[in-house]
Amino acid sequence: MNEEKEVEEQSKPLVLEKLEAAHADALLAQDEVRGTTVVVVRKERAYAVLEYLKTDPELAYIYLVDVTAVDNSRMESELMQFDYARFMVVYQLYSYQGQCRVRVKVPVHENDLSISSATGLWRAANWLERETYDMFGIHFEGHPDLRRILMPDDFEGHPLRKDYPLRGRGERERFNFDKQNV
Amino acid sequence: MGLDFGPDTGQDGNIITTTIDKVVNWGRKNSLWPMPFGTACCAIEMMATLASKYDLSRFGSEAIRFSPRQSDLLIVSGRISIKMMPVLKRIYDQMPDPKWVISMGACASCGGVFDTYTLIQGVDQFLPVDVYIPGCPPRPEDLIDAVLQVQQKIDSGTLPKGVSHY
Ligand code: SF4
Repeated sequence: MNEEKEVEEQSKPLVLEKLEAAHADALLAQDEVRGTTVVVVRKERAYAVLEYLKTDPELAYIYLVDVTAVDNSRMESELMQFDYARFMVVYQLYSYQGQCRVRVKVPVHENDLSISSATGLWRAANWLERETYDMFGIHFEGHPDLRRILMPDDFEGHPLRKDYPLRGRGERERFNFDKQNV
Repeated sequence: MGLDFGPDTGQDGNIITTTIDKVVNWGRKNSLWPMPFGTACCAIEMMATLASKYDLSRFGSEAIRFSPRQSDLLIVSGRISIKMMPVLKRIYDQMPDPKWVISMGACASCGGVFDTYTLIQGVDQFLPVDVYIPGCPPRPEDLIDAVLQVQQKIDSGTLPKGVSHY
């Protein structure tokens, strides 16, 4: 039993093998966290990698579980690793066929917050990317309807950024009750 | 209620004397129609209060209406976000007078543990709250108690003077 397990652990996940063969230049790092393969991908190639993961018949990561982002601006160790990119956009994928998950992380610099939208691959990306835009201000190029989804339309700022004050900037006391959208 | 049975007419209880204030208040307090505004966990306790075990209908308030235009008691139970507050205000404005407001739970009353950018720190900043219920969540007994306190409040109030019809 133990031997079997060791053999299993040593063998490389299929997704890594295939990505290294097809998209070696896009990979910045790889890791495994609690059984999930994590790959860090260059922003310019992110769409191509996601498309490959979805459409390759052996991988078939057809289920987009989540899109979100992480603000690393207070995590010096994380920042240093990827050329001081402040944000990390995270895609969580699942393959029914292989019954396994993969996490694709894409470093995004603060001075260029655009990244191509995955709505062309998964329609589920629509609301998830709107949420990421709302909370972090990441701009998804090619998104059909990039509006706020959780905060009110006239809200200013992106509240999940680390520099946004926890208690807000007075928006919870100031109110415009004449808003059209109520 | 302050009813006085009239002089002995030979037919017991046929004549009673009271005041308009008292009889109208008596009617109002015993048939409050709540408008539930449940946005979070407190609403679960509110549902329990209305269900068979706690049975708010014992106190005349079982006629829950989801239309503000048919109700006179707003029960705010749960967190109110800055996006929800204009909706709540509008619902309150749509309720016909006279109307009362219960702020149920820590969140509705003061923001509770959610001292964050998105949460109203107490609906009483924008609505005239009659009764606050502490707790996270308050037990159904607490909500019943709040309804009884609203009833007391109605009972002790007087009608606006110069109104010729009620
Ligand atoms: S007071 Fe407690 S139970 Fe009620 S809405 Fe807030 S968190 Fe939930």
